Amino acid sequence: MGWNSWNAFGSGNTEELTKEMVRRITELGLYKYGYQYVVLDDGCYRPERVNDRLQSDPVKFPSGFKAMADFVHDAGLKFGMYNDIGTRLCSGAEVGIYKHEKTDCEDYIGWDIDFIKVDNCYYMWDNATFAAPENAVYSYAPNIRSVKIAGKTYSAVKDAFITGSRAAVNDDYVTFIGTFDGTAPDHSPVGLRSSELVFEVEVADAGVYDLVVTYATGKEEGTGAWLQVAADDDIVFDEMLPATDSPESFAESSPVNISLHAGINRIRLMNHRRQENTLYSYTEIRKELERFGKGRDIVFSICEWGKTQPQNWGHLVGDSWRILNDITFQVGSDGNPGTAAWESDYTTSITSQYNKAVIMDRFAGLDKGWNDPDMLVIGMDGITETMCVSHMAMWCMMNSPLMLGMDLRRVSKGDPVFNIITNEDLIALDQDPLGIQARRIFTTYPCDDPSLEYIRDNNRVDILAKPLANGDIALGFFNLSENDHTDNITVSVDRIINAIDSIICTADKDRFLNAGAYRIKDLISKEYSEVQGSSISVDMLFGCGCRVFRITTLT
Amino acid sequence: MQSVQDHDINMTREMFIESLLKTFGVESWNALAYGMEHGWLEYEDELCKNDPVTRKHIARILHMFLLKEKGICDLPDIGGAGVLRDLYDCHVCANHVAQIYLRGIMDAKDLASDGGFLWFDLDGEDSQENIHEYIRRTVETVNNEGKVATL
Repeated sequence: MGWNSWNAFGSGNTEELTKEMVRRITELGLYKYGYQYVVLDDGCYRPERVNDRLQSDPVKFPSGFKAMADFVHDAGLKFGMYNDIGTRLCSGAEVGIYKHEKTDCEDYIGWDIDFIKVDNCYYMWDNATFAAPENAVYSYAPNIRSVKIAGKTYSAVKDAFITGSRAAVNDDYVTFIGTFDGTAPDHSPVGLRSSELVFEVEVADAGVYDLVVTYATGKEEGTGAWLQVAADDDIVFDEMLPATDSPESFAESSPVNISLHAGINRIRLMNHRRQENTLYSYTEIRKELERFGKGRDIVFSICEWGKTQPQNWGHLVGDSWRILNDITFQVGSDGNPGTAAWESDYTTSITSQYNKAVIMDRFAGLDKGWNDPDMLVIGMDGITETMCVSHMAMWCMMNSPLMLGMDLRRVSKGDPVFNIITNEDLIALDQDPLGIQARRIFTTYPCDDPSLEYIRDNNRVDILAKPLANGDIALGFFNLSENDHTDNITVSVDRIINAIDSIICTADKDRFLNAGAYRIKDLISKEYSEVQGSSISVDMLFGCGCRVFRITTLT
Repeated sequence: MQSVQDHDINMTREMFIESLLKTFGVESWNALAYGMEHGWLEYEDELCKNDPVTRKHIARILHMFLLKEKGICDLPDIGGAGVLRDLYDCHVCANHVAQIYLRGIMDAKDLASDGGFLWFDLDGEDSQENIHEYIRRTVETVNNEGKVATL
């Protein structure tokens, strides 16, 4: 929890503005609620290195980063910074951490950072040219028509099978061998997202065989040039293939030596480089921070926008991982609060982020890390107070990082924004020691499994539930639609317990099922009520509104 | 949109900024210092003043010029710029590009032969003729929207 400069000031953040935010955190007492990290985002560096080292922008941060860190620490807060795994920052400044991991991490430790957010701009193995199709060279395998081994030719279309949901057959070859780009909101994060082409090859004798692949390379979404080949789990080839004239102009590869055992072998043709390269780059930074930090506790915020399905690997190196591109691109500046949205076709809205994060609970937890649906946009233009309440409640139910993104000079004690961001009951859900992200247990949108189905139609009401450390259960009703929902919605305790059966301890489960009476605290109105029976209901949900309850069993 | 011609490349950031100010009749011995003082230029512009000005830099400078120098507020909804395939690639530039694109000051090129792949070309460079046209359209925007703001 903390404050990050990006949504408030974009590239226009300065030393004076940051100091003012630190003062406001103190004056408003926000640290008492848990907001303790003050993070400088993009726009704070001198745009070029000096003697190969990072420096602060001499106009915006004339006193340097160490002085800034000291100021933050003197206020009893923690200090965070920003960089990119690529060669440049998103702002274009030529100070990306790539190939400078050692010196940069040494500097970060010297500046006493407690937090680092590492972005994904200008990353040469995936998006060096942004969304230009040629990035596919590294992140997709070539199109595959056939393989030849042990004197026999196997057709990719007739004799192999495709795993995952990305690859497809096109005429007599298989294409899109690789994975989805998860930056945009088009694809579900759940399920096997990447594809391999698998041949089952039977040989009579164990030995080393020559494998020849008939392939065609490209530089377009779905067709690349980097191929990985494995016999079962043994990777025997992991390189770029020579380019062919076009994605439909096939050539034979040089023979690849591959060890097979007698019987049926699974020969896998694939490209997992999109994840592997990114993981490697984040790991290098982590290693150097640990080496220089010597046990210093540094929160590592992975910000690769969900591009490479970080929910599958983020926990190996980081504390949290962004799940999509930014929640807003209309960030503020000094005097302008910026603009956010409740709904959008892209990632740029509260519901775009929520719709993806809400089915990602299985990827998060105390022993893993946290899905990050981006910083809070509370306090920006374009969203109502009701939307802000729901936004806060959603993020808290989903155990999301709570990074304020507003100009804190626009907040006063007791005003609506202050009351939303300091709702201790909601924050307690977010920070609950059990660390279990809420699961969607019901939605009015027709679907088979509300906990797993990716739903982007916001004309619906969701119900989320999460077990809490003291044995209570939090239950949230969210109306995603901008229209009021006037029908009663009732959910039985049985249904709640069944839906969270795998994440609630047996004792709590039994207690809830046998209670028959419950005390309910409305975490927004702060009202208490008691329910006799075995169901919980709400009569009315305003458009974009929510009700969030903390339920305690009564004996 | 015209492509960059060999004889017509490398308008630097400084040249662009000077041209912008000159067109708007601002007298300043140092255009870069003037822009920084008025909050619509970055230190990076000073540091890279001799580099060719790229399209994303043109968009940022024109947008910030409208906002800070001319007091013209942002368009609240930039959803219409979502047609640009590379809009959201550059987190820092997205709003600048969207504001300038939606106001018709800078346009995009269509990479697909059958249409439908609009590309802003963030790191591309423009001919001087094109850049002067962007400045002319900025003047038009100020004349139109500035009047509305005054009314």
